[in-house]
Amino acid sequence: MSNTNTKDTSSLLTIKDLHASVEEKNILKGLNLDVKPGEVHAIMGPNGAGKSTMGYVLSGREGYSVEQGSALLDGVDILELEAEERARAGLFLAFQYPVEIPGVSNLEFLKASVDAQREARGEGAVSSADFLKLAKAACKQVNLPLAFLKRGVNEGFSGGEKKRNEIMQMLLLQPKVCILDETDSGLDIDALQVVAEGVNSQRSSDRSFVVVTHYQRLLDYIKPDFVHVLADGKIVKSGDASLALELEAQGYAWLQPSDEEGQNA
Amino acid sequence: MSEWLNQAITQAQGVSDWLSPKRDLALSALADVRWPTRKTEAWKYTSLRPVEKFSKTAPASFSKASSLTQIDGFECLDLVFENGQFVTDLAELTLPEGLSIQLASQADSAKQADVLSKFSSIKPERHVFGLLNDALVQDVLVIEVADNVSVAPALRLTSILSLAAQAHTRVLVVLGEHAKLTVSEHYQGNEESLNTGFVEYEIGADARLEHYRFALQTGKAVSLGGSHFQLAERADLNSTLVGFGSDLSRVDVDMVHAGENAFAKMNAFYLLDGKELFDLHATVEHAVPHGTTEENIRIIAADQAKAVFNGRIHIHRDAQKTLAELNNRNLLMSNKAEINTKPELEIYADDVRCAHGATVAEIDKKALYYMQSRGISRAKAQVMLNFGFINELIDQMPNQELAEWLRPQMREKFSQMEVK
Repeated sequence: MSNTNTKDTSSLLTIKDLHASVEEKNILKGLNLDVKPGEVHAIMGPNGAGKSTMGYVLSGREGYSVEQGSALLDGVDILELEAEERARAGLFLAFQYPVEIPGVSNLEFLKASVDAQREARGEGAVSSADFLKLAKAACKQVNLPLAFLKRGVNEGFSGGEKKRNEIMQMLLLQPKVCILDETDSGLDIDALQVVAEGVNSQRSSDRSFVVVTHYQRLLDYIKPDFVHVLADGKIVKSGDASLALELEAQGYAWLQPSDEEGQNA
Repeated sequence: MSEWLNQAITQAQGVSDWLSPKRDLALSALADVRWPTRKTEAWKYTSLRPVEKFSKTAPASFSKASSLTQIDGFECLDLVFENGQFVTDLAELTLPEGLSIQLASQADSAKQADVLSKFSSIKPERHVFGLLNDALVQDVLVIEVADNVSVAPALRLTSILSLAAQAHTRVLVVLGEHAKLTVSEHYQGNEESLNTGFVEYEIGADARLEHYRFALQTGKAVSLGGSHFQLAERADLNSTLVGFGSDLSRVDVDMVHAGENAFAKMNAFYLLDGKELFDLHATVEHAVPHGTTEENIRIIAADQAKAVFNGRIHIHRDAQKTLAELNNRNLLMSNKAEINTKPELEIYADDVRCAHGATVAEIDKKALYYMQSRGISRAKAQVMLNFGFINELIDQMPNQELAEWLRPQMREKFSQMEVK
């Protein structure tokens, strides 16, 4: 890599000149983003701009290759790490389409996740009884019936239940940086409030959020410090919360000189 | 045919004892049987080279390398074969009333005549290695449960082989009317050896048999055998078969509904790694009306392992109102692993309910990624995913102690498997 990055300890997430492709198609074409502790950044943009790709590349999904650039999480270059190591370093991606895993109970999955992360930090495992208490509390907080802990991971959950399950995982894992990938899609207004309350309860001076969304609506509940427009693989405009309102009113066309049709990422 | 086989057969031809009538029948049948090759349908995917190559002569003595497996809380009477020799001292066993266990060679002539009438009447003639076993066995262990007797402890039949051993074991189990029994067959050993182990079960009217076959011989142990069941009216069979695979492991299962309203359930699962091979051929014969069969087979094959499953359900013309279901789900963990599955329904009756299905899936990479994205290591995620796939069948094992004994072994085996 040509450009060297000086370690910026005051940022929780620093993405510099990130270029990434999937199936030999370039999706990210020089993404820059700097997120300081406690900040909430919203990423908006048209379909195919690379919003979901950003989350997949950062979290280490197979099939996405990084051509150029860097991504530091709390000073650690995560792009060389395995997906599980990135999670243990404090990254959390709330999936747009959470995966169903029949045969593995939600509770078993949650405990294995928390145990793995605690172990990586050199902390002891939580006893099953103590963990059950924590899990029940998180389950209640996102308004899911306790029976959902015993069901297969996301198995047969509705769209909204899956999203609440993502937030429940976030509550238990206590990550440093949370990327919410269209967590508002497919949610009715009640579920949206539950999700937003879950997120807001976790806002703190040492945790940051990157909220990827199509709609201004979510940002009424989760107030962003910054709003960025991602188009054709890079940030084309940044501003404060008022930018989201502007986009809502005017769409994205005025920001995009290029008429390239992006693919669905 | 291989040299040891020719030798073994020549030897068998010279033996004369109470079993001779059956041995002679088997020898003449074998003379007419063509040695199976890959062109033989029943052996299409399973090479017999390990048998053909087998050149060991019987070892001088039994090496105590492996011993009986400890199973916590499992209450059982042990019946042990070491290198094919039955070594349990029956006089030392305290048997519950109504249960009798004896070697046919030591029984009176009336009993021997009775055994001869049942010997090979349940195991069909088409199994080549079954015929070999008929010809080569020197004795038959006979287990009988009297009418109306429920035997509380399970019977554990263990066959242990040491290096270079060649063993042929034969057991006949007879359950009287309304009798109840649990039999667990264990096949152990991983050294270069060869065994045929066949058990025939006659399940009387209203009797219930809980059955397990743990075909856990691995490595260079060549294992060829079968469990064969005949069910009388309202008999109930619950069978679980677990296979680990070796250079060559083949099990034949036959379940014959001879009486009406019988119920047969078989769950089978095998886990194969390296270059292991496991082949299960299961045939169910519905000869009479109102029979029910449920079969669930789950296979996981990793690395370059090879799994074969052939499940045939044959519903005869008179077997009206049969209910039969065969479900086979398979998981490939590498693109060099192979699962050959062939469910076959052959139906000649017109008023039956039957279903069968087989699916082969690769490990769900999305699920793996999802779990990794939460901090779970790839290896651990695989174990959890595979475990979910198999755990359902372990949960269905009626004996909890056996299930608890098996679970960690499965976890251990899974954790060594890799997704490629």
